[in-house]
Amino acid sequence: MKVNPYALKRNITGYLFIAPQLFFFIVFLVYPIFEGIRLSLFKISYQETTFVGLDNYKALFSDPVFVKSTINTVIFVVAIVALTVIFAIFVSSAIFDKNAKYVSFIRGSYYIPVMVSMVVMSMIWSFLLNPANGLIPYVMRELEMPAVNFLGNKDLVLPVIIFVTFATNVGQAIILYIASMIGVPRELFEAAEIDGASRKDVIFKILIPLVKPTTLYIIIINIIAVLKIFVVIQLLTGGGPNNASTTLMYFLYNNAFKYNQLGIASAVGVIMFVIALFLAIPQLRSMLKKE
Amino acid sequence: MLRKRLLIVLGFALVLFILGACSEEGSSSEGTTDSTEPSDTTESSEESSKEKVEISLWLTPQWKGVLDSSEDGADYDSFFNHAAEKFAAQYEEYDVTVNVEVIAAEQRDEMLNVNLNGGTPPDIFYESVFAMGDYAHRGALVPLNDIVDDEAKSDIASNYWDTVTFGDDIYFYPFSHMPGTLVYNSDMFKDAGLEDYVGGEEEIKTWELDEFETILNTLKEDVPTDKYSNAYPMGLYALNNQGDTWNLAYLRMFGNEFFDENGQIILGDENGAEAAAWLKDIYDSGLTNPGAESVSSNDVNAMFQNQQLGISFTNSVLYNNTLAAMESGDAPEFDARLANIPSESGDPLTFTYVTGSAVFDTGDETRIKVSKDFVKFYSSDPELVKASKNGVPVRSSVAEEFKDENPLFAAYDENAQYMFSFTGNVPGYNELRQVLYPELQALYTGGKTPEQVVEDYQAKGNEVIESSKEDSVIYSE
Repeated sequence: MKVNPYALKRNITGYLFIAPQLFFFIVFLVYPIFEGIRLSLFKISYQETTFVGLDNYKALFSDPVFVKSTINTVIFVVAIVALTVIFAIFVSSAIFDKNAKYVSFIRGSYYIPVMVSMVVMSMIWSFLLNPANGLIPYVMRELEMPAVNFLGNKDLVLPVIIFVTFATNVGQAIILYIASMIGVPRELFEAAEIDGASRKDVIFKILIPLVKPTTLYIIIINIIAVLKIFVVIQLLTGGGPNNASTTLMYFLYNNAFKYNQLGIASAVGVIMFVIALFLAIPQLRSMLKKE
Repeated sequence: MLRKRLLIVLGFALVLFILGACSEEGSSSEGTTDSTEPSDTTESSEESSKEKVEISLWLTPQWKGVLDSSEDGADYDSFFNHAAEKFAAQYEEYDVTVNVEVIAAEQRDEMLNVNLNGGTPPDIFYESVFAMGDYAHRGALVPLNDIVDDEAKSDIASNYWDTVTFGDDIYFYPFSHMPGTLVYNSDMFKDAGLEDYVGGEEEIKTWELDEFETILNTLKEDVPTDKYSNAYPMGLYALNNQGDTWNLAYLRMFGNEFFDENGQIILGDENGAEAAAWLKDIYDSGLTNPGAESVSSNDVNAMFQNQQLGISFTNSVLYNNTLAAMESGDAPEFDARLANIPSESGDPLTFTYVTGSAVFDTGDETRIKVSKDFVKFYSSDPELVKASKNGVPVRSSVAEEFKDENPLFAAYDENAQYMFSFTGNVPGYNELRQVLYPELQALYTGGKTPEQVVEDYQAKGNEVIESSKEDSVIYSE
């Protein structure tokens, strides 16, 4: 590529203005990515660092807990993102054209859990679900219903975590959808009404296609957020029972901070980075594609 | 054109300013973490003749107050703050400031690993030795041989020194120890008609295994539900590694020795499987709290304090804290007494946590020296070592002094003959702890049979021990 000196001279002011931000971006985001890739090829102890090539990756793929956490993470991503998008579209399309005060009320109600810290939410859920002294098992016992351990049953623990995370996150998507749907030109709805379109047609043929950029954005940010799911796992289940609810981020955390296996943890980080890229690129491409 | 030049110059100035600010910040923060250079202080302030040194001391919650939890404003850091003041007042070489920080026990390894990798470990850590042994194996601690004198060696029995010695060197200065036992609600026992099984107030009651089973079954059937709603006979937990020593003890109930002479786990035999099957059996029969797989030891302890459990786990400090909470009105008052973990042979199972101080290798000779001097000071000062009565003193002189005030000291002493070493002094013990609870979860949820559980634990545990041996500084010496 030939550098055009004139263009460079003309744009240098702009580059200088973004330079400070670029500097921090490189130091705090780009450099750690490369450092993470480098560390994933080493075995690191307090006293020395030894190059081991791809041994960390080999160890990971033969570790059943890692495989389990990868599968769990994929289940979480697919289930939570799908639930969030479907439920948010359902709520927003039902209310976006109603009275402004009503819309604000609904929006506010769904948004409150988003404002509460995930730690607080997890503690509340833990108080509700704790099998020994939690509220829900207590009520169930009092009603003489069969004892169910929501956090200790390996078939139930994933749906419970999916529900908890979904309930906490969905407010964000609803806010974005309502804003986007309010922005859809009124004439389109009026024209559809004159043509005799039903509410269902309006939603599926006008509303959803027109808010597609919002849908893509919500999908991307949720995929990335759910890939990093950690707090709920740490506080509600500790990855249990018997690693049934462990995720990649939790696995990474355990290796990095509990077992002090920095090389292995970096390798997990690299794999997560690749998965995120792999999942986000098609979305980004279709988002950036010119109509 | 001029305007453009001006913008360029301004842009450069901005970048330089930011870079300059960063490097200044870097150098100033270095100044605060390291001890200040002698030349700096002598030049800048001639009045203060002593060089300033700042060290940090971390501890996990132990006892509250300087000597006693009944003191005003008693907290977990009271003792070390008091000791630091006293130390600074008499220390001649440096002007010392000690920053005391209390760390949640379940966060210890996270905090230490992050700070070790970042090059900012604390100078001193006060904790149970079993949880810190790995750091000695990893070469993160400095030996304390030079601060242990003959007086200390004669006052503290040799088995405590054995616990804190790794290879040839002493890595922890022992302060007190906390024997682990069971605790039971004797009021609940009496209400269920179990008077015959209640021991004395100053006794650690030993039950035979079949007596223990009778107690659990009677508690299940006969505890009056109007007085103790939602109560269970015994506390059982496996959410994480907290309180896992009791789980390890339960696994020895049928005679398994746990480690062989080479430091390998041997739980996978018949005795081990029998113990696991016994745990599964009492859990399935409703003799314990439900959901053990997702209940933590903290939950169990809270349930016991709320009279929702007949029998729970405790150690000497936890027991004192429970009694203190009752006395201060923070917890409902009832008669809590101690009992041993029973075994099939009839001999009780007992263990102790020796607690003491370790000094981290921060690379700063001055700080290491001051830290060692401080550790020696509070671990040997005749007044300060009295605080070890909150656990059980490792010093015979202190135990002797307080034996009338705390008659349980004699009971703990009596128990010592049944003591087993739960760590086996193996390297990688911290990671080994992470292997046990998932297996117990699999046991309680029915994911694995008792035989599979002990076999898988043995296989995974021995793998951890093997790989940790390779990295151990002490083994490689």
